[in-house]
Amino acid sequence: MLRRLERLKSWEGLLLLILILVIIFNTFSTPHYLLVQNQINLFQLHIEKIIVALIMTFIIINAEIDLSVGSVMGLAGCVMAFLFERGVPFGVCLLAGLLTGVLAGAINGFMVSYVGLSSLIVTLAGLIGYRGVAHVLLENRSVGNYPAWFDRLGQQPLIGPLPLAMIIFFVLLVIALVILQRSGAGRYIFVIGNNREVARYSGVNVRRIKMTLFVVSGFVAAFAGLLLAARLGSMRGDTAQGTELDAITMVLLGGVSIFGGSGSLFGVLLSILIILNLRNGMGLLNITGETQTGVIGALLIMSVLGPNIGRGVRDAWNRRRRVQRIRVGEEQKGG
Amino acid sequence: MMEQLKRYFRPEQLRELSLVFLIVLIFLFFGSQIQGYFSPRIFNRVTSDVAIIAVVALGETLVLLTRNYDLSVGSIVGLTAFTVGKQLTAYPDMLPMVALLLAISLGVSMGLLNGLLVSFGRVPSIIVTLGTMAIFRSTLVSYPGNKIVVTNDLPQWVLDLGRMQLFTIGEFNIRPVVAGGLVIFIIFQLVTIYLPYGRRLYAIGSNPDAAHIGGLPAQRIVLIAYIICGAMAGLAGFMFMVRYGDLTVTGAQGMEMQVIAAAVVGGVSTNGGVGTMIGALLGALMINLLQQSLLRWLVISDFWVGALLGMLILVAVTIDAVIINRLRDIWTQRGLEIKSGDEKKVIKEKESHVA
Amino acid sequence: MTIVETKTPILQIRHISKRFDTTQALDDVSLDLYPGEIHALMGENGAGKSTLIKIMTGVYHPDEGEILLDGKPIRVGNSVEAQAYGIAAIYQEPMVYPDLNVAENIFITHRSRRLFVNWRKMYSEAEDILAKLDVKLDVRMPARGLTLAAQQTIEIAKAISLNVRVLIMDEPTASLSAHEVEQLFNLARSLRDQGVSVLFISHRMEEVFEIADRVTIFRDGRWISTLPRSEFTRERAIHDMVGRKIEEFFAKSLGQRGELLMSVRGMNKENVFADINFDVYGGEVLGFAGLVGSRRTDVGIALFGVEPADSGEILLDGKVKKIRSPEQALRMGIAYMTEDRRQMGLTMPMSITSNISLPMLHQYLSRFGLVQRRGEEATAEHYRQRLSIRTPSIQQPVGMLSGGNQQKVMLSKWLNTRPQILILDEPTRGIDVGAKAEVHYIINELAAQGLGIILISSDMPEIMAMSDRILVMREGRQIGIFTREEATQEIILTAAMGQNGGVMEAA
Repeated sequence: MLRRLERLKSWEGLLLLILILVIIFNTFSTPHYLLVQNQINLFQLHIEKIIVALIMTFIIINAEIDLSVGSVMGLAGCVMAFLFERGVPFGVCLLAGLLTGVLAGAINGFMVSYVGLSSLIVTLAGLIGYRGVAHVLLENRSVGNYPAWFDRLGQQPLIGPLPLAMIIFFVLLVIALVILQRSGAGRYIFVIGNNREVARYSGVNVRRIKMTLFVVSGFVAAFAGLLLAARLGSMRGDTAQGTELDAITMVLLGGVSIFGGSGSLFGVLLSILIILNLRNGMGLLNITGETQTGVIGALLIMSVLGPNIGRGVRDAWNRRRRVQRIRVGEEQKGG
Repeated sequence: MMEQLKRYFRPEQLRELSLVFLIVLIFLFFGSQIQGYFSPRIFNRVTSDVAIIAVVALGETLVLLTRNYDLSVGSIVGLTAFTVGKQLTAYPDMLPMVALLLAISLGVSMGLLNGLLVSFGRVPSIIVTLGTMAIFRSTLVSYPGNKIVVTNDLPQWVLDLGRMQLFTIGEFNIRPVVAGGLVIFIIFQLVTIYLPYGRRLYAIGSNPDAAHIGGLPAQRIVLIAYIICGAMAGLAGFMFMVRYGDLTVTGAQGMEMQVIAAAVVGGVSTNGGVGTMIGALLGALMINLLQQSLLRWLVISDFWVGALLGMLILVAVTIDAVIINRLRDIWTQRGLEIKSGDEKKVIKEKESHVA
Repeated sequence: MTIVETKTPILQIRHISKRFDTTQALDDVSLDLYPGEIHALMGENGAGKSTLIKIMTGVYHPDEGEILLDGKPIRVGNSVEAQAYGIAAIYQEPMVYPDLNVAENIFITHRSRRLFVNWRKMYSEAEDILAKLDVKLDVRMPARGLTLAAQQTIEIAKAISLNVRVLIMDEPTASLSAHEVEQLFNLARSLRDQGVSVLFISHRMEEVFEIADRVTIFRDGRWISTLPRSEFTRERAIHDMVGRKIEEFFAKSLGQRGELLMSVRGMNKENVFADINFDVYGGEVLGFAGLVGSRRTDVGIALFGVEPADSGEILLDGKVKKIRSPEQALRMGIAYMTEDRRQMGLTMPMSITSNISLPMLHQYLSRFGLVQRRGEEATAEHYRQRLSIRTPSIQQPVGMLSGGNQQKVMLSKWLNTRPQILILDEPTRGIDVGAKAEVHYIINELAAQGLGIILISSDMPEIMAMSDRILVMREGRQIGIFTREEATQEIILTAAMGQNGGVMEAA
């Protein structure tokens, strides 16, 4: 734990540095950058993504992955919109959306925990499949005109300058921190991610925990999807497409290992801030959404490549030092 | 007799046979339900689409065999199709061969990037190709000028190539795109069976640790697989342009999913080491046939494609996990049970578990 | 028997040393390998055997010293270069490609100049090699699902195809049945007669006596002795390997047998084990003896619910119980300590505290599911003292402890579950002699406190000394249960090996 903390500290230190640089750069290109309102807008634009990133952290630490989050977000919203179009009472629509997420998560979880398939291929199928169902429901329509209170919650500030979604994010962040660092469940998640067999041999119910994680992931994604619908005021078949890329990047950039078993929410929080400010800065420079996504993609690759290169350099350095030491040793012995 | 059978047929071949069976079934069923199902028009449409997907799927299978993924192929196809289309619009005198080479070399360079990052950068292939999928697509989107290519602006030979009839069997003609696809298929089939390089792909996917200890140049082999995959995507981009003419910057978006679905349905294992070119081809054929048939029969929209694909992948992978493994145990000799490489939970090194 | 001294050695290891951080794995080791001999290399875990193999096959590079091939110094940079020099190794866990067929497995690593694969030629050459080894295998079969012995044969065939001159066999018999061991020995003899030098690593006395022409013993990274078979005795071997006399070891105090804790009747698992019957009493150590591969571990994990049996009854306190998961087993008071502490026993990056509390974590949770750190730490501290775990702090990541201390942490973890029945699987494997003695002392104590202990061990002296009764298994079958008085090394070994295999020395 100690050594890992040290290494993490250096990664998080690096993140902090990058964050400061990005903010400084942005402040120079835009005068009002550091105003509270601007920062809140910055968060708001991507709030659903970062909510999903929170649950993705748990999943990746558990040595799994969920590629279907974006599609579940979209599907939940589309289910809600589809029922709403047909005059179903709005509360029921919302409930149906949430249930959709739970169901999707349960399917994912069942396939991974009980059938034993790889989460990669299962959630890849989910990515395609759930998005497909969303398209079937809404085809190429756009559904909006939700009750005023819904739109208001999604777009207007609720407490002080903070809108509902941001408040929810902070609440979830605190809950996630407590669970991950301090609870039994969090400990189990780390152990399973580190070594599934050890967990099993120690009496941990691996299957149930994995299943629960996927169901929660589905639920959180659905919830985020509904928040998105509220913020946008409308819903389309391709809403929230590509969210998984951002969410996974935020988690990996934050120092969570793709192989599972290690990581901290603090690093993820830093990387969230970096990505948000980066996207915001790019937006202000009139760089389009698609191009921004390309930059995020590059960032994703760098978040794993960087440490690999660092390790490679360090190993080469150590090797050279060891050879030097041996050579000196040999010289001292008289060759 | 059983022993003889066991020697020459493996469970994987059983799978291929059942695919052929399914395809025939689909063919006959929809033929009875849809007017004019057996017409040349539908034949051309299906075979052309299948040819494009199959070419990419064949390249993707090479990567899948090594226990890696390439999610960026859709973006590569879109980018090469659009770029070549744009260039031809600007320089109509460009030789067809040059256009083709342009497409392929674009694909090669993108595949090279993927391959370097995966094999030498040691970044899990899911991460790399998720990232390059976004990077390549964003490069395409920021292409200067109009974001469209119009058929009418393309030189005549492109349109002719799309409609030319190479062979005619009764009422049905084989178009160049389809012929090209078949040639590629034959080449790949030969490579995976008769070329040492092809066999090494299987070795690396089957047991990467043994490959490393045995001194197989795994990094180079994986790199080459990605380069070929990129080249095939580039070639498919050229075929895409010929087939469709009108291109936008969102062309071939999502194709990677169709391609992986084709391979997985065709019996290529996402765990590496298992899979054939025939399987990938059959998978592409079945998926596309099913898609086109459902489109015409239920008059369902294009929108069902995604849902269908997702379900097919899941079904195929589940069947593999549950049934094929049982079959394998029955097929081989009994004795002390050995845990092969992919069953042992060596999670640390095994990239495919998560990535 | 070949006359070894008159030929020139193929391979000469000269004054090789290798250091890893704080451990001196090899210290000025020298060894000569002659053509046409089977040379056994013995030593306890940590003696340096695997390090030497890795240096010979190019995985590691020596800090000092050199290797001479046919009298000329060579540098083995990697496994490919080793192959080119004719040095090959096969291990306990054979590395085959499950999806390729047998013939391909043999030839896949060849640097082929040819453009195309000639399948017919490959099949016929594979069949030739297998014929030379007097082995029957269908070369068209995929390697997946082949028995371990068959896979090892493929590895040997691979080595032959590469014109091996020095074949290293690293504990190859670990998971083989007695019959398969005999087959392997025949292969080794056949190779020897063809002029290959076979370096056979084992810590199994019986095997060494049967097959070796010469025996070399390492201890703590140093060369201790090399003797021809005729001068080699069991006492000499143990003395050289351990450096102490046998009597100084360990002994279980005789105690009172307590109540009947568990009865196992007719336990079966298809293709794994069959018809297992025994009782476990409190205050008693029931030893499980047998060669590795006799499926004793499988019985253990069946009792612990990891891989439950197909049929049979387990009675606890007279009642039939179904044990379908480790959770259930723990609740019933059964604990199982694995033999593989790296892969299955401990979470290396986590602290001692977290590792110890893991199976019982639910008891350390507050109302809201939060972990009570203080309670955890008190527990860890308690065990640190009781088992004398040497560590700067209980927050130390377990991966940084020595083998012996890791074993103690694992033991603490299971003791903390307050078991009635404790199954220990190779509890002293891979730890130094001092720690071994400590573990034995603890086992003694536990039995005295009334626990029923099942001791699975491949270390014959250990089982003999520590058990009140000994159950012997062979190839998944139960051969018999012997009391302490009845059991002698010969009887146990005969039961374990199933035949009068080779010459055995009295203890």
